[in-house]
Amino acid sequence: MPYTPIRTRLALAASLALVSATGVQGQGRGGRGGPPEPPKTARAGALYDITGYWVSVVTEDWRFRMVTPPKGDYTGVALNEAGRKFADAWDPAKDEAAGEQCKSYGAPNLMRVPGRLHITWQDDQTLKIESDAGQQTRVLHFASADDQGSGWQGFSKALWEMVPVGRGITPVGSLKVVTTHLKPGYLRKNGVPYSANATLTEYFDRVNEPNGDAYLVITTTVEDPVYLAQPFLTASHFRKQPDAKSWNPAPCSAR
Amino acid sequence: MNLLKYSFVLVGAMVWGQGLDFSGRTNQPAGLDLSGTWYPQPLQDSGLITASGALVEYGGIPVNEAGRLYALAWSAARIQGRQHQCMGYTIPYTYNQPGNLRFWEERDPHTQRLLSIKHYWQISEGERTIWMDDRPHPAAYAQHTWAGFSTGKFEGNALTVYTTHLKRGWIRSNGLAQSDEATVTEHFIRHGDRITYLSVVNDPVYLAEPFSRAYTLMRNAKEPDAWLYACDDGEQILGRREDRVESYDWGRHPFLREFADSKHIPLLATLGGPETMYPEILAKLKDQQAMEAAATAELTPSAGPPHASRAADPNPHDGEIHVLPVQGNLYMLVGDGGNIAVQIGDQAPLVVNSGAGQLTDKVVAAIRKLTDKPIQFIVNTNFGADYTGGNVKLRAAGHDPSVEGSFFSGQFADAGNGATIIGHQNVQNHLLALKKPSEGIPSDTFFQGRRRKFHNGEAVEIFYEPGATTDSDTIVHFRRSDVIATGDLFSSTSYPAIDVKNGGSIQGEIAALNYILDRTVYQHDEEGGTLIIPGHGRLCDEWEMAEYRDMLVIIRDRVQGLIKNGATLEKVKAARVTADYDDRFGATSGPWTTDMFVEAVYTGLKNPPKTGNGN
Repeated sequence: MPYTPIRTRLALAASLALVSATGVQGQGRGGRGGPPEPPKTARAGALYDITGYWVSVVTEDWRFRMVTPPKGDYTGVALNEAGRKFADAWDPAKDEAAGEQCKSYGAPNLMRVPGRLHITWQDDQTLKIESDAGQQTRVLHFASADDQGSGWQGFSKALWEMVPVGRGITPVGSLKVVTTHLKPGYLRKNGVPYSANATLTEYFDRVNEPNGDAYLVITTTVEDPVYLAQPFLTASHFRKQPDAKSWNPAPCSAR
Repeated sequence: MNLLKYSFVLVGAMVWGQGLDFSGRTNQPAGLDLSGTWYPQPLQDSGLITASGALVEYGGIPVNEAGRLYALAWSAARIQGRQHQCMGYTIPYTYNQPGNLRFWEERDPHTQRLLSIKHYWQISEGERTIWMDDRPHPAAYAQHTWAGFSTGKFEGNALTVYTTHLKRGWIRSNGLAQSDEATVTEHFIRHGDRITYLSVVNDPVYLAEPFSRAYTLMRNAKEPDAWLYACDDGEQILGRREDRVESYDWGRHPFLREFADSKHIPLLATLGGPETMYPEILAKLKDQQAMEAAATAELTPSAGPPHASRAADPNPHDGEIHVLPVQGNLYMLVGDGGNIAVQIGDQAPLVVNSGAGQLTDKVVAAIRKLTDKPIQFIVNTNFGADYTGGNVKLRAAGHDPSVEGSFFSGQFADAGNGATIIGHQNVQNHLLALKKPSEGIPSDTFFQGRRRKFHNGEAVEIFYEPGATTDSDTIVHFRRSDVIATGDLFSSTSYPAIDVKNGGSIQGEIAALNYILDRTVYQHDEEGGTLIIPGHGRLCDEWEMAEYRDMLVIIRDRVQGLIKNGATLEKVKAARVTADYDDRFGATSGPWTTDMFVEAVYTGLKNPPKTGNGN
């Protein structure tokens, strides 16, 4: 019998083991159909449930969110010269006169406004986020839509962005939303501006606490070549509510 | 092509065709590797970087009454105190600091399984370990640290971490304290070069609700070269007395409205509380008059009886003796009243205190598991029943060969029989007066200064601390092991049981704690180094004793101030001078209540003892 080097024998053994294991694994998963088919709808493929009522927990940037900061206080926002000039000219009376009290309730700031959210599936490919503060509605499109928007909430394209995982591990990832076509508004109530060219990128993540609480964490990046020298980054969070008990719709306020 | 090449081609084909993966069973999504260097995104809460904030900037923090009162009494001058200058950062405060952060993984070298995720932060040069191997958290009587004890698991797209055993730290270093009873849940979610971080602090002592906060860590574009943070304590104010701890009287904070006025925020909102986190506060802030009245009410303790501690009892109360290795030659035995310190080595054990005497057989059995040598010495740090209750049985289980065959031993028929009990002369006096059995009374006594021994390879010093909780207190310092057993002078569970009738006083207690603090040395940023075995409660370090000392000085000064204004004991009690500490140390029932403590402080200040520190 000819001599076979040990290295070769090990490689052969590994090959056979892999072939065998692959066969077993493939049969166990229903044959040779390749990877499982992706879910047909965004709702069916949801990685976690973010529907229901949520209340904002305002513990970050508290003095910029819970009260209206003084004019010219744009600490923490990397405005460029044009942005600073715009913010220094803030006049809430002018906004009220123009019927634009909702300038700080646009998508780039809506999740920072103290209030409650009601999130529902509008259909299998569309999530809807309603706010009681300012009575705004955001629509997150998983499929293409004809209406490209242009209001305070712009047009939001959504997807479940997957994190690479090994086979056999439950898929994980985040809800990613990119919003464009925005009507110019405020990043903060005191007139810190964003322009129609702004792009808002958000991740909506849900985490659960040992005591049963659930939090919705929204990671936000606003990029605006007109008014920002750097992207404006924030992270906001909401706690799950059992019902609509404290839902308190209120109109936009410019002050 | 030879056989080897065929094999690899075959394997490659199978992998490609079937989507075979080699990810193993770690359950760690590939995108969740946090390894690398990061920094806290500085724009959100930019006014809080270094996380301090302004004085009286508590809006959005769900503090309870005790937490608010602690902060309102806190003076920034305390940072200049020797033990506070190099205070470390706790979780999650550390993620607010402006320095660099590094994460890395540690894996079993043989299996490559993930053991832990390590984390180093520049400011205070802190390091934490997040254990990923399902190990249990330590017992409640184990030491607390700045980083605490953390265990983690991957949940969906997040690394979820649970932390216990934290030292008292900051929510914000403007006086908003996070107690050593706090536990923290953290969620790290990676989005490319950004980590979204949600922390939820549960603190039964200083928070009325969980404190959740989301913020962001950013990946460093290049390896930073700033990783160190030099800190060494030193005298900041020449001539400052060791028993001086700056604090503000409630209602007289000199900067109370500074932040509120400068930012045009109603005072009520800046005082924090759970309601300030939620939208409903907006309606409340519209009624100016009601708001001012509500704010004024929050500046001083509410009327009513003192609060009882909300802290968990670290004593297991399970009828067993629990053994905690301390460091060097020392062990701490927990479960039978006061803590027992056991020193072992080449010679026979030296034991500090004997417990309440309810479980002495189990104490003896526990010591026998540490060493087969019989107990040689027992030191009583005072005459209290929690420290001397086991003397008789423990002595009987021992043997002192050092008194056999000496010049005088022939004069004692029982020389060497049983362990030798050492204590201050007043311990003997008190136990004799209490008619305790002679077998359980110290036979080796001293009067002042220190009693020295070189035992089990190290110097052991027993220092008399006159007029502290009684007239018979001593501490025991194991110099090479660098451990101090304090007896009743220090407790992590209650105010000190100052027994005025038996010679105790608040002044002597503070002097004793300062004496101990003069002997301790921390290893790094107020952690490690000298460890302290308290009379009751968990293993502690210098910083925790300093915080205890600060508390006593602040309470003493409040009582003194009221006495100067002619307050009676009843008025002092009604003023709730301990309101910021009761949720941690207070008691409304049992052998040592808050009222008894306040009375002891009051009595000691009204009628100061004449004795000084004999050291």
